[in-house]
Amino acid sequence: MGPYPLGSSTAASGWAAADSGPQCSASEIDGLLAGAGYRVRSSDLLHVAHSLERLESAMGGAPAGYLASAEAVHYNPSDLAAWVHSILSELSPSLPPLRPPLAAPVAETWPDPTCFSSPYQQNQMAVVVATRQREEEEGSAIRLVHLLVSCADAVQRGDSGLAGNIIAEMRVVLTRVNAGFGIGKVAGYFVDALCRRIYSPCSSSSCSASVAGSAADQEILYHHFYEISPYLKFAHFMANQAILEAFDGYDRVHVIDFNLMHGLQWPALIQALALRAGGPPFLRLTGIGQPSPDGRDALREVGLRLAELALSVRVRFAFRGVAASRIDDVRPWMLQVVPGEAVAVNSVLQLHRLLGDPGDDAAAPIDSVLGWVVGIRPKIVTVVEQEADHNRPAFLDRFAEALFYYSTMFDSLEARRGAAQQQQQAVAEVYLQREICNIVSCEGTARVERHEPLVRWRARLGGAGLRAVHLGSNAFKQASMLLTLFSGEGYCVEEVDGCLTLGWHSRPLISASAWRADDDVAPLPDSQLFDPSIDATINVDASQQRQQ
Amino acid sequence: MEATVLPSEEEEEEERKNRFSINDDVDLLIEILERLDGRSLGVAACVCRLWSSVCRRDSVWEALCNRHVAGGGGGPGTRSVVAALGGYRRLYRLCVGPALDRLTGGPGRSGWASAATAAHLSLSLSLSLSLFSIDCYERLDGPQASLLFLCKPVNVP
Repeated sequence: MGPYPLGSSTAASGWAAADSGPQCSASEIDGLLAGAGYRVRSSDLLHVAHSLERLESAMGGAPAGYLASAEAVHYNPSDLAAWVHSILSELSPSLPPLRPPLAAPVAETWPDPTCFSSPYQQNQMAVVVATRQREEEEGSAIRLVHLLVSCADAVQRGDSGLAGNIIAEMRVVLTRVNAGFGIGKVAGYFVDALCRRIYSPCSSSSCSASVAGSAADQEILYHHFYEISPYLKFAHFMANQAILEAFDGYDRVHVIDFNLMHGLQWPALIQALALRAGGPPFLRLTGIGQPSPDGRDALREVGLRLAELALSVRVRFAFRGVAASRIDDVRPWMLQVVPGEAVAVNSVLQLHRLLGDPGDDAAAPIDSVLGWVVGIRPKIVTVVEQEADHNRPAFLDRFAEALFYYSTMFDSLEARRGAAQQQQQAVAEVYLQREICNIVSCEGTARVERHEPLVRWRARLGGAGLRAVHLGSNAFKQASMLLTLFSGEGYCVEEVDGCLTLGWHSRPLISASAWRADDDVAPLPDSQLFDPSIDATINVDASQQRQQ
Repeated sequence: MEATVLPSEEEEEEERKNRFSINDDVDLLIEILERLDGRSLGVAACVCRLWSSVCRRDSVWEALCNRHVAGGGGGPGTRSVVAALGGYRRLYRLCVGPALDRLTGGPGRSGWASAATAAHLSLSLSLSLSLFSIDCYERLDGPQASLLFLCKPVNVP
């Protein structure tokens, strides 16, 4: 540690000779520092280092000119331990007692540092004490992150005993950190997930359902996350823009949604099609969603609501629901693609679920799904995915990436704190917490949150026979305007090779891209696409209504 | 001291014919109110029953919305879509108004001062309508609960 730059402080006014007073035994003094002129006991080194750090932050917290207003005191900086302690005790009264000084007679000749009569001293104490509390919290937060990573490392190595010990320690540290926001909260979720991994692991999809909760719960969580943050809205708007442009000129259009939820993406598309130059086309929507266990046909209800909206704006609309627990269970004939219509496939945060290993020699789910998607020759495929690398084979890598990603995500949610939205925000956070739980505590087929970054998706989709479609400046402008309306400080929209990403403080968190089938890919045979015997759609024909 | 000469009947009649009240000419009133900004329209609606009913007309709010969106608003097709989704007055209240407030830096500013700056800001009509349609959709509790669509039955084969 070199000498501190004290600026206009008092230490510049000279100090007592460094070689006065009796010497300690040479073996106690640290040799390296002695060469630089500082006499510090080796056993004191850690203590001195911590004190110097505290001094630096305390001086950062004290207002400029404070030190200059203090009376001139002479210190001997060669006895580093005593010197830094006396400076610190000026700035903050509640210090742990100094270790016995290097040589007692030397300490007695020095003036008592606590007899200051600076008028600013008392006023600034509160500031400095608060600074110290903040440093302690920051120190605890850093320690927490360090512990999390070492616990993950222990888990990766299979050392569950050590991992358990670290978890116990982390729970103690968590009590010292403000667990209501910031790193404390995120760390809490990760600690819980690690706990679950060690003590009740799940590697089959049946027990991951208990982690995920029912489909209805998931829809509610999704809805709250949609309301409270701009990520999903951004995704929907970008996808709709691409779909709208791709449907230009077509009279019959068909949208296939890989995850219908409450259908919040589609009112905007219906409205935009209603206002399209040349009149609205005939819109068919096929929504894929989870089957509802209690007999309630959730998909059909959403379809009816969308049909109502379409009816009110005079867009001919037909809806079809496909209930499937996994997208790779869906077969092309279930979608009833009619030859001659323009097809759009829309996947919002769904494709990454297909990246699990199939086991045996079955085709990878992602390849089979992409295969039939390309086979139905869509005019546009819109893909929205998290911009994160949570699918690496090593657990520690995934863990560290997830920690960084979700800290940023929670950060962005907190910036929007408004009293009226506390409850919504809490529910939205549960949505994210479930993702964290899945990434950290599940393995095998249970782990569905296998996020991959955009570059990997590009390679994968390109390899399946899809060509990228640039999203255009219109989409970019809409995204920027949306963010401004949404309270856009901190959010940033970036364009990467025709794809748009939305991020928080230059860390991209979600990406939206558009693709279309390559012209030289062979389409699926009609027998796979269309089975005329099946007809269970909800048909709303506005032209019939007009005649009434 | 002279007695004050009261105006005679004919003179009063003459005056009444020459005196002009804005309330006599509703079309003129509409023309004027169409040029106001959102806050002023709200204030105008509190003046009297006639003004209140004029301010409730969607055409006044349509003019206001179209002033603030890029391209001056869409054609008659837009009007029917907006009417179906809830009307221009609701569009302004839910989407255009708050957006303008946000763009000009907050509703605390004087409405008259910000009206001038707001005229130079162009909001995307498609964005406002998209947000509006989502709002309309979220208000639909279900086919039975929505009064608006009672007269138009849904054909479910």
